[in-house]
Amino acid sequence: MRIGILSFAHLHAEAYLGALLAMPDVEVIGIADENVERGRYFAGQFGVRQFEDYDGLLREKPDAVVITSENARHLPLVRMAADAGAAILCEKPLATTLDDARAIVNVCRAAGVPLMTAFPMRFSTPAVEIKKLIDGGGLGHVYGCNATNQGALPEFHQAENLPFLKRDWFTDPLLAGGGAVADHVVHLADLLRWYFANEIREVYAVTNQIMHKGKVGVETGGLIMLNFANGTFASIDCSWSKPAYYPTWGGLALELVAEKGLATMDAFRQVMTVYSERAGRPHYAYWGSDANAGMLRDFIGAVSDKRAPAVSGEDGLRAVEVVLAAYESARTGQPVSLG
Amino acid sequence: MFKIGILGAGVMGTTHAAGWAQTPAHFAGIHALDAPRAAALAAEYGIRAYDSVDALLADVDVVDICTPTHLHYEMVLQAAAAGKHIICEKPLALDVAQGAEMIDACRRAGVTLLVAHVVRFFPEYASAQAIVSRGEIGDVAVVRLTRCSYQPRLAADNWFLDAAKSGGMMLDLMIHDFDYARWIAGEVESVYARSVRGRQPDAPEDYGIAILRHTSGAISNVEGGWAYPPPMFRTALEIAGSTGLIEHPADSSMPLSLHLKASGSGDVDAVGIPGSPLDESPYTTEIKHFYDVIAHGAAPRVSAEDGLAAVRIALAARQSAQSGRAVRIEEV
Repeated sequence: MRIGILSFAHLHAEAYLGALLAMPDVEVIGIADENVERGRYFAGQFGVRQFEDYDGLLREKPDAVVITSENARHLPLVRMAADAGAAILCEKPLATTLDDARAIVNVCRAAGVPLMTAFPMRFSTPAVEIKKLIDGGGLGHVYGCNATNQGALPEFHQAENLPFLKRDWFTDPLLAGGGAVADHVVHLADLLRWYFANEIREVYAVTNQIMHKGKVGVETGGLIMLNFANGTFASIDCSWSKPAYYPTWGGLALELVAEKGLATMDAFRQVMTVYSERAGRPHYAYWGSDANAGMLRDFIGAVSDKRAPAVSGEDGLRAVEVVLAAYESARTGQPVSLG
Repeated sequence: MFKIGILGAGVMGTTHAAGWAQTPAHFAGIHALDAPRAAALAAEYGIRAYDSVDALLADVDVVDICTPTHLHYEMVLQAAAAGKHIICEKPLALDVAQGAEMIDACRRAGVTLLVAHVVRFFPEYASAQAIVSRGEIGDVAVVRLTRCSYQPRLAADNWFLDAAKSGGMMLDLMIHDFDYARWIAGEVESVYARSVRGRQPDAPEDYGIAILRHTSGAISNVEGGWAYPPPMFRTALEIAGSTGLIEHPADSSMPLSLHLKASGSGDVDAVGIPGSPLDESPYTTEIKHFYDVIAHGAAPRVSAEDGLAAVRIALAARQSAQSGRAVRIEEV
């Protein structure tokens, strides 16, 4: 399996590349990034080949590519990769507009290439336990879900203090599609659709910009309510509310209140707290399994076995619909219907 | 020294009695429809068991109303007419018009009306409010509050489950955090809520989530439920501000963890009450504060108007859960 990475705009590119390099049946042919300095930096860090442009990498005929460009720049890379016949793992959110998200799904379908949306939470081992509990009937009907996917301001996620490594597009409304809502709602929207095997019918949202006020031009606080067709409701806190000195980047946690009781899940709770004078502040050392690796194994397995990946392009499209409905609801002050 | 009497001998009447016994006030007596229960409390505290509301009112200066919610309105009006200062359990009233009338009656009678929003006296909640008011986390942005337990299980007259008497879970339980959210983040502008009973009034138990938008721009996520397996009771708070964050998750600040081999009794309290081992029960802290307000004119930590504002938010949440629409607070 020969695989390449297109763009290092998204910080997940580093995690994916690290996981791919650890897989024995995968050959990483290299990375391409329109930010040539950034591409050179990461190629050097990981010891992989750097391509000066995307065409150069695609001319090598990879079996698959991972697309980790800015949210609004997925579609052009998806077109190029689909034309080159490569299977595609596309970073979430799939797109910043419905037209783009639909086009991504259609382009891949027309070219006959597999498309997977990068929703690693479906491969988080604690998250999978909850899926098993639900499917086994252990909870009965789920009344509601109180969930958080909070984080630090994405600008803090920078590998090193070098100007070309700045990921400030996360707070650029055009490139990111918004702020905290675009960044964080999709993970839980997708996870809950999967848990309940049910579609979201209505979305309500409120947002604000009190944290990091004046520093960024997008919403930094957000509360979203999802209403599922089966009557289950779920609230999501997507806020960038973790301070820069918080012991970790953020997290994803939920509680399900159901007919048969309560279940809680904290996907990033498998940590120990480290107090080191060198770090100057406590930080969490994560020792749980790597959900990204699980996702990449499924993607690679799907490509080599010619089966559908566990997460589809349509799943990515559904999540984009939720994000756009949330923004509309925040504007109008009332819930917005889907579909 | 003023004379205080309690109306109602249920969970709150019993809890408040323990509080009054620790104040310098003259704890005169109690009246309750459950006469044996009132007699037992009277014996415990060496106070009188009055055989009617009128008999109690005729003999005291201050009355503490710990009866089911639907009785608050008439009893407050009656006490105000008798010129007595009043402490009223939350929620103040079942609707805004009655609550406003109660406040008005007390003002005209020149008596104090205090509403027992005890969460403001729980040390962790009071401490978080103090941290916010000192400006340690800047402007409040996102508030998260949780309060979930099991369904109240009173052996006789389980009025909690009768929405006509208690107003339902949102008015009885979530009102604690509606009041707290407003204390922390200011006036509420609109409410959107979902709950199990909002759409299915005859559902076997209730659980809900409300999203509040405050005038300041802050937003709050308030979760409440009577749906946990007994005897579980969890509360949690998180306040994110422009320059900091306060986290107080459920389960993590319990100083004790007891895992005892089952004795086989499996007794569960009729109504779940949160608690942590402290020198003084937050209920007693509350009663002592009310004593200071009435005896010495201390500024009340929670006013009757606060109590009415909390009722309004809870009613907006209930209305939203039924209609599926966000409700502006002035619509209630």
